[in-house]
Amino acid sequence: MLRFSSTLLVLTALISPQTAYSADKALGEIRYNETCINCHGPAGKGVASYPKVSGQEISYTTAKLEAYRKGIEQGSNSFLMIPMAKPLTDEEIANLAVYLKDAKYVVE
Amino acid sequence: MKKISSSFLSGALASALIFGVPLAAQADGHEGMDVPKINATIVLKGLENPWDMAFLPDGTMFYTEKCKGLSVRTKDGTVNALYGVKGSSGYAATGDDLFCEAQAGVLGVVPDRHFAKNRILYLYSSSMKYRGDGCKTNFERCDGNIVMRFKVSDDLKSVSDRTDIVTDIQYKPFKSNQPFGDPGAHNGGRLRVGPGGYLWVAGGDRHRGVCPQDPALLCGKVLRIDMDGKAHPDNNPPEGFDKRIYTYGHRNVQGIDFRPSDGKAFTAEHGPWHNDEITALVNGGNAGWDPAQNTGGRGECPDEYCGYEPNQKEGMDPAVRAAYTPMSDTRFKDLMPATWNNNGFSQGTGSAAFLKGSNWGIYEGRLAVGIMGIGFGGTPPGSRIDMISITPDGLGINGITRMPLGFSKRFRGLVMGPDNALYVSVDAGEIYKVTAESMK
Repeated sequence: MLRFSSTLLVLTALISPQTAYSADKALGEIRYNETCINCHGPAGKGVASYPKVSGQEISYTTAKLEAYRKGIEQGSNSFLMIPMAKPLTDEEIANLAVYLKDAKYVVE
Repeated sequence: MKKISSSFLSGALASALIFGVPLAAQADGHEGMDVPKINATIVLKGLENPWDMAFLPDGTMFYTEKCKGLSVRTKDGTVNALYGVKGSSGYAATGDDLFCEAQAGVLGVVPDRHFAKNRILYLYSSSMKYRGDGCKTNFERCDGNIVMRFKVSDDLKSVSDRTDIVTDIQYKPFKSNQPFGDPGAHNGGRLRVGPGGYLWVAGGDRHRGVCPQDPALLCGKVLRIDMDGKAHPDNNPPEGFDKRIYTYGHRNVQGIDFRPSDGKAFTAEHGPWHNDEITALVNGGNAGWDPAQNTGGRGECPDEYCGYEPNQKEGMDPAVRAAYTPMSDTRFKDLMPATWNNNGFSQGTGSAAFLKGSNWGIYEGRLAVGIMGIGFGGTPPGSRIDMISITPDGLGINGITRMPLGFSKRFRGLVMGPDNALYVSVDAGEIYKVTAESMK
């Protein structure tokens, strides 16, 4: 049993290298509220002409943020997103993606 | 020195005792100031981009949701959906020509001053009805915004007798290579009834360089019209201008209100990465925005629009931008100088309302200004409501106090209620009632 578990762990690490960092939803929320909230609104719900960014798969949000970070344009407000994404670390992107996946706006 | 100070303090104490004046009052005068207690509570929530509100004397509140339509909250709290955009559901009626796109949609709302007698309500929206052949490119007039007049039923459950009283406010039909370049950009949209009962319509430049200074186009203008959409007889625009125009040379006015002390109109508008502005309007005046290419020392610009130049998609010193395409260009002899320019920043100044009622204490008569804030290029986001004390001549300010709400949101619509509370819509989906309680 022990041998099987060890093998599984090694395989998992090889298949998904991202597991080296365990994304932190709470840190993602803190980072979101530092800047992203100003356009995308609370909990990524989307406001005015800024799109909803919550409820997406982690892989989707990660890919979008990584592309913006590389300076790749993806829509009419890319000029806003690219400078916002430039300073994001891999960990911050992972945290944001995991937070936004299930983020819900609750009015206080 | 020590002895002198002690003597002075003894003297002050003696004076206070003799004349019965509190020491604190002698020190800075704050003792006599009425700083009100301000509190915000939610009136409605779960809305979709609530944009504007308008009140009847009994507290009935009409409100718009940009991509849905017009609704009313009656004085007992019941909500009736009155008039929706094409494809909306749950509304008593829909306008199949109405639509929303980016910044455009169902925006301003205001009742006629004689509503109690005539049940008339005005509504601003984007519409497909009058486009004709003029919307094939972004460089044509494209009449895509209208002002409608309705009759509201006695039971507040429906509207009827729609009459389109303004049908030729321009609209941006296609995406362009500009910041916020989607269709429907800079769409203005605030409606208010001013002194004498005339209707004021605040417009935007719809990302077209020639709009604000053009004599015939209504984009980038503030209109003053009657209930049929005809020009106020005293409007005084320059020779050759459309007589409905009260002021021109605007970028994107989403705030307009009238100072209670003298009825003077003030606008609030977004700046282009620099200088949000409050402006005291002068009949026939020029707000000084001219984003046209090949003028004002500029050459050609992307999409013939210099509004974000000289570097439209990267952060740079707002003062450099302001020098290139100023919000208030001093080369215009009829310029209305800005009352306030947000310290050179552009943070999304949207709506504005003068605070009325003695319950607002030292803030009574100040202009409350909703600021949305996006924090681009080093500008602090600053989502807030400012309370601005404006000088009597309207050409400057005495000071600004941030409204102590305890939270920050994108404050889209501000309007005073009949209860002397400030009602505020936020893009996240709520309408707040902000009360002020005098401490006297």
